[in-house]
Amino acid sequence: MNSPKTEHEVLQAILRKAYQEKENVEVGDQWQQEVMRRVRELGTLQPTPTFPEMLEQLVWRLAPVTCLLIFGLTVLFAVSDFTSGYEVFQLFMNGTEELTFALFAGL
Amino acid sequence: MDNDSPTSGDAEIVGQVVAGDVHAFEHLLRKYQNHVLILLKKHLPYDHIEETAQDVFIRAYKSLPTFRGESSFKQWLSTIAVRACYDFWRKHYKSRELPMSSLTEKNQVWLEEAISAQASQSFHEQSLQKEAREILDWALDRLSAADRMVLELVYLEGYSLRETADLLGWSIANVKVRSFRSRKKLHKLLTQAIPR
Repeated sequence: MNSPKTEHEVLQAILRKAYQEKENVEVGDQWQQEVMRRVRELGTLQPTPTFPEMLEQLVWRLAPVTCLLIFGLTVLFAVSDFTSGYEVFQLFMNGTEELTFALFAGL
Repeated sequence: MDNDSPTSGDAEIVGQVVAGDVHAFEHLLRKYQNHVLILLKKHLPYDHIEETAQDVFIRAYKSLPTFRGESSFKQWLSTIAVRACYDFWRKHYKSRELPMSSLTEKNQVWLEEAISAQASQSFHEQSLQKEAREILDWALDRLSAADRMVLELVYLEGYSLRETADLLGWSIANVKVRSFRSRKKLHKLLTQAIPR
């Protein structure tokens, strides 16, 4: 028996030869027509968009969503009486000041 | 890998196809059909070659807009073909049942003779390649899809690690480790198959 290294090399040589032989198999020539038929079916290709084009597409895609969001927030503020909420806040702040001053003055 | 002459003609045809001339793709198909077939014949079983060849060219057609001409068209197409083979084996291995059959007695005897001290150049030339192919297919069928592809490309075809990494889209380190392991597995499989 050969040394493992020689054994390995011999085996590799044999297997390589067997592997190379595989390319001699005959294959039919009808498949090319099928490829062209499918290519015609697929039609013309759409070129890959560049980065600015992709950005532009994204902006336009988001535009309706942004408009809807602005509209929705406007309606929400109009309905929820934003002004009176602000006044309550002011009253609370003023009230605290008065209370603090009253306590400080001992009244 | 081959060193092609400048393939500016290919780039022009690719440009035509991308611009909408679908029929121009036939030039590329005719020019590279043999190259793709030779590649597929080595990696795939006979009855799947035509189907995969179609798949390779359809994939190439769909991906043409992404072809930037950084490598030659032939090299770009080879990458698609090799990855199609890898995909084939991944699908095949998922759906197959685990092969349990061992080598036939005839194959075992042949293998023993082949790696014994009597093995010589004359043995390689005279011996039947049919046996060698059967043994090779038997052993490859027992490896994973990834091991199989790396072993075929590096060990049997002689591609460099970098070329293999480019073809499969893996890192060089991954190819190196897998190549070493798969070679060990193959050797172990074949030496264990011989009754000693």
